Amino acid sequence: MIIFKDVSVSFSGQRVLRGVSLHVKSGSITTIVGPSGSGKSTILRVAMGFRTVDSGSVAIDGEDVTSISEKRWTRVRRKMGMVFQHSALFDSLSVVENVGFYPYYVDRLPWRKVREQAMELLSELGLAESANKMPEELSGGMQRRVALARALVYHPKILLYDEPTTGLDPQNSDLVSNMIREANEKFGVTSVVVTHDLQCIHALSDEVVLITGGEGFSIGKPHQLFVATDPRVVDFTQVWRKQMLDYASEMRGETGGAVLPS
Amino acid sequence: MGKLLVDSLEYIGGVTLLLWRIIKLIFRGRVYGELLLQQMVLLGVNSIPIAIVVMAFIGSVFTYMLAGELSKHGAANMTGGLLLLIMLREAIPMFTTIVLAGKVGASITSEIGTMKISEQLDALRALSTDPDWYLTLPRTLAAVLMMPVVAVFGGYSAWFAGYITAKQQTGMSYTLFTGQVRLLVDEKDYVMCLIKCVVFSAMLVLTACYYGFQARGGASGVGKVVTTSVVVNIFLLFVIDLILTMIMTG
Repeated sequence: MIIFKDVSVSFSGQRVLRGVSLHVKSGSITTIVGPSGSGKSTILRVAMGFRTVDSGSVAIDGEDVTSISEKRWTRVRRKMGMVFQHSALFDSLSVVENVGFYPYYVDRLPWRKVREQAMELLSELGLAESANKMPEELSGGMQRRVALARALVYHPKILLYDEPTTGLDPQNSDLVSNMIREANEKFGVTSVVVTHDLQCIHALSDEVVLITGGEGFSIGKPHQLFVATDPRVVDFTQVWRKQMLDYASEMRGETGGAVLPS
Repeated sequence: MGKLLVDSLEYIGGVTLLLWRIIKLIFRGRVYGELLLQQMVLLGVNSIPIAIVVMAFIGSVFTYMLAGELSKHGAANMTGGLLLLIMLREAIPMFTTIVLAGKVGASITSEIGTMKISEQLDALRALSTDPDWYLTLPRTLAAVLMMPVVAVFGGYSAWFAGYITAKQQTGMSYTLFTGQVRLLVDEKDYVMCLIKCVVFSAMLVLTACYYGFQARGGASGVGKVVTTSVVVNIFLLFVIDLILTMIMTG
């Protein structure tokens, strides 16, 4: 579904990705993890055609998109959606207009039908009452859900998420993770999630890829992050490992080893 | 100096390409009526009050200078004609554009610039939407269509403010004020005004959009491109005005 072969990208004279290869299977959820500035978001931007590659090749849904024109990208992007890190909602449009943007302006459906469709989705996401609000009136979590609704409304085959749960409280983070999983299961969406959120990695990943220093390593299932012995993986996950061990020993101490009530 | 040259060439290339893309979209019939109407209201209708106020002052100032001098030389009946001539050939397109550069140009640059730095332009592209189609085309077309309308309101405002000033200053009647209008002003002056309005408005919006798309960094980056956009627009206004005046009166 999404294939990167030896992709290298640089900007301002600096190499950001060095020969990254990636194979995202159709209908799967792949999470991309890695330190800040390691090139995770660049992978999404290359996959969306916002960045050109220096070398290597990129294929989306069987089509080589390495050096296609912007006009062809517009067609390719109809199969894709993206949820941006800071939601990137159009601040001159209301929530319902944001969600209905694609069906109204791209599919040219009548507004009454678009509104119905958008309201249905907003109700599912618990945002029906905010439909006529402007994006700046919403909390971060709500904005993220609206951004997801805007991407889901036209049923893309591929969805890319740039840190969808960053900065959200555990409840909202859980809600967004569930929505990503649901989109995957309900509509067979192929998803790529860039994240730092361990809970999100655990809840979602079919496959984890680590990007560090511009290079990519396939890790496998999420638990491999904690059992892998590769020094690059250990180096990246050592804080998480330590936090988990500390937390576990603290809990054991407080509960005397008893299981916490759910 | 070298940087200025590079920036100027980049600007000329960028605006030319933007204009070319807009022309292609127009000829492909991609104008979306609803977006166009929205912008006609925002850029045009909403600018009429400020244009009326500013042009009233301009008309008053010009008349104040003209009426006194012309009356002294027994040519008071030329006041209205000369005022209209100055207004049509120069003041209406120039001052309307200056007002719009501050109001409309700055707002377009800051809107697009903010969209750029907050990834809204990428979000548009992710939704298979060409930012030129959604943002630049309706704004450019709306400005070109509405600038002459704004100019008409501004022109009438200047004219009546001029007459009131002349009446207050010299007790001139309306018949005397308009005495030589037909002798001094002809259709060519109206055409010149219209052409200048259309060219200036296209330049204004394309420059504003171009600089909006160039924004980078945070809020200070947007502030920087807004300032550049207004300065470049006003500078170019004088350059293009000179060129057009030389062509049309030469």
